[in-house]
Amino acid sequence: MKGDGAMGPNRSKALLEREPRFDDMAVSLLAMPRLPKAMVKETKQAVELARRFNDTVVRPYALELDRKKHEDPDFLPWEFVEEANRWGLYTLCIPTLFGGQGVNFPALSYVLEELGSACTGMSNLVGVHYLGVATLCASWNMRLMNKVMRDTAEGEKTGEPCLISLAITEPGAGTDVEEVDLVSKAQVACQAKKVKGGYVVNGRKIFISNGHLSYWHMLVCYEDLKNPQDTVIMLAIHNGMKGFSFGRQERKMGQKGCPASELIFEDCFVPDDLVCINPAQGKKLKRSMKETHMQVIDYIVAASRAGVGAFGVGVARGAYEEALRFAGETEVDGKLLINHEWAQCMLAEMYKNVAVGRLTYEEANYANDLLGMFKVLEWKPIFYYLKYMPKPIMDKVIQPFLNLGAVTWLFRKIYFDWQKETDYQCSSGWGSLSKFTATDIGVKNGQLALEMMGRAGLRHDRGAEKHLRDSKLLQIYEGTNQLNRLNLFKCLIGRDVPGARVFEE
Amino acid sequence: MKIAQDAEMRMLDQMAADFAAKELVEAREDHDRYPFLPLFEDVLAKAHEVGFFTLLLPEAAGGGEQGISALSLILDDICRSDASLGGIIFTTALAHEMILKAKSEALLPPVASGDHSYREALIACPSFDNPGEAGNLLQAKGKGKKHMLSGSIEYVVLAGLCGRALLPAKVEGDESYSLFLVDLTSPGVEVSEPVFSLGLHACPACDLELKGVEATLVGRQGEGRAYFDAAVDKMFLAAAAMATGIMKGSFTEAFEYSLQRHQGGWEIINWSEVRMLLASLAIKCKVADMLLSEACRAAEADEAGWGLGARAAAIHVQELACDATTDGIQLLGGNGYMEDYGQEKRFRDAKQIQSLLGLTPMKRLDYIRRIREGEKPW
Repeated sequence: MKGDGAMGPNRSKALLEREPRFDDMAVSLLAMPRLPKAMVKETKQAVELARRFNDTVVRPYALELDRKKHEDPDFLPWEFVEEANRWGLYTLCIPTLFGGQGVNFPALSYVLEELGSACTGMSNLVGVHYLGVATLCASWNMRLMNKVMRDTAEGEKTGEPCLISLAITEPGAGTDVEEVDLVSKAQVACQAKKVKGGYVVNGRKIFISNGHLSYWHMLVCYEDLKNPQDTVIMLAIHNGMKGFSFGRQERKMGQKGCPASELIFEDCFVPDDLVCINPAQGKKLKRSMKETHMQVIDYIVAASRAGVGAFGVGVARGAYEEALRFAGETEVDGKLLINHEWAQCMLAEMYKNVAVGRLTYEEANYANDLLGMFKVLEWKPIFYYLKYMPKPIMDKVIQPFLNLGAVTWLFRKIYFDWQKETDYQCSSGWGSLSKFTATDIGVKNGQLALEMMGRAGLRHDRGAEKHLRDSKLLQIYEGTNQLNRLNLFKCLIGRDVPGARVFEE
Repeated sequence: MKIAQDAEMRMLDQMAADFAAKELVEAREDHDRYPFLPLFEDVLAKAHEVGFFTLLLPEAAGGGEQGISALSLILDDICRSDASLGGIIFTTALAHEMILKAKSEALLPPVASGDHSYREALIACPSFDNPGEAGNLLQAKGKGKKHMLSGSIEYVVLAGLCGRALLPAKVEGDESYSLFLVDLTSPGVEVSEPVFSLGLHACPACDLELKGVEATLVGRQGEGRAYFDAAVDKMFLAAAAMATGIMKGSFTEAFEYSLQRHQGGWEIINWSEVRMLLASLAIKCKVADMLLSEACRAAEADEAGWGLGARAAAIHVQELACDATTDGIQLLGGNGYMEDYGQEKRFRDAKQIQSLLGLTPMKRLDYIRRIREGEKPW
């Protein structure tokens, strides 16, 4: 390449590290050559599966389920969950190492978009399970990952769904628990006290998506409520444990099919072997527990916020598709709506919103492939090894090794100690960017669809208004869009600005 | 509202605010669960008693003979707490206004609250439609005052609640539609179950199927559009008032919440991004209030071009309300999305009322059509 002949390697590096860093702005370009080609075929097959599932299960039931929940807020959609379990959606992206089908994680975003375009509530009934999976994985406790995810695989065989939820939000702390700088001053109240052989948990968690429908719950609580940032602990709770019960289901505006549950812990004893990660384990890591706490959160949200971005794109697409259908069959002022120039521009705007939103979750996933949670699984040798290793060998020969402490040690070395600050800044920053961009788009398209459809769009039986109701939650959970903007600032902007402080007003 | 400046308006303002506080706030969540819980009939009866359903009617017809400022003031107050009642008041007022424009007061039902139930005072009509835009209209056959109507019409607001509806229908050969008063208990009328909708759950609409139903022509044949256009400028102000009230309710709830809810060790109002959102919401409320007050004043004074101003106010304020109520939920976080709080209902209601009187984009196109036809833009 022609240019300044005097430019040496150091200067060249410095230019590329100047903000915006080349590695942050060209994530997909850097990731693509390193990713296995077989991901493309897997992803196509996953989208095909999702479209068949939409035609067979989701669309025929979406409005009925939504209306049923309006009528009976305590109704639980077991029938749907059992159907999704039969279709293999709960093991689709669980690695073969843990008994799943091993489809690459980024493919899940496309699946969630597809399902979300028909019903975001049902897309959540599938996607939120993987939030639980991601939370469990972020502890890199390989023994528990193997135990819990194999339960899900077993549940698929027996026809008894075994979903995993994440329990983190508390009545007094929502946004706070997603940032260590905020949690230090938060009104958290769910406490795990160390006792002989385990922990005793007391407190409540609220807004837990899929809570009532899950068997395993990844519970995030604190040993010391006055020092939560340094004493965070993640426990694997399962139904039936003494002292653990479900409270009410929230009455949400939308996404009604997916319950938001209250989880109640009253002197609930959790044995040591169900501790995913705690401060004692954290002491063995390179960073402080507070920093590790943030790393765990960043691993989870970098992946899950791309998923929420996919929900946003899905709901935006659903609204667009309803508006397009309406415009093609409705006469306004003497001609089909679709032949009004303004309507064509509005539809183009909605299409653009969907496409832009999709690009953001794709880029966020590339960041996770390259630098985040998926980096080992999508490293070509590991990817093909897991893909083509016969299942009996995986189950009988490889699996027992996962219970060795050394394997957890190795994965924690890779994921905690060897992870660079710029790695999690990039993946977490892109996760947030996708989350707030795509979910704002979801709400926008919901609003545009109703403007185009007028009173026809207001009717529940047309489906368009449901997209708007469903979309609004996406701007709130997985950190409000305001928190996500701040996280983007923290990860990708403020780090290079002397004197910049976040969460310190 | 800024227009509540004279003693009578202040009294009305206080009365409507008291009514909302007493009758609408506490049971809002249950009221909104219609049709899965019973309709708030006791509230409707009380609203009729205080004259909310007959505000625009002349005294001779049993009405309050109030102007658009009074109607707007009341809708603003009511919709801060529950816009469903606002939707009922609006729909009946729209029907009344069209009948008045057709000089057909004689067709109005008797309404005095002591002698007649609220159901008798209400008149159903397709208040979310501009019939001139619709592809399919009911067909009317006949001559003189009596016609027979056939066909189907969707989303007739209040059709399940009251005995009469004011419906647009086209007489074969006519260029434009006419308005007819229909007794919904007549043979040949099929009224659907309430259409479950995005918002205004307790202001239900039904689909109607008519098979040779006797109907009374309102005003002159083929003049329905003229009556609608004459009535609708005033009703745009009423729609803007509903949006303004919803926004104000959203701000009040968000502001109070921000003083109580803690995040990061202090009340969330201490975070400047929260204050920015609150400021944006408060400014939208203020702009809407000023715009509406000025548009009402111009309408009451019958100033030249007030109709265009009323439309501009409605289109703008309704759009503001959709944005403002989105932020209104956001300020309460997860709680804002739950039915236990009022914000999610306001978000739905704001979007619902944006479609009152027809498609929003068509309202914009109509606005420029009027300027093109010679109305002064300011």
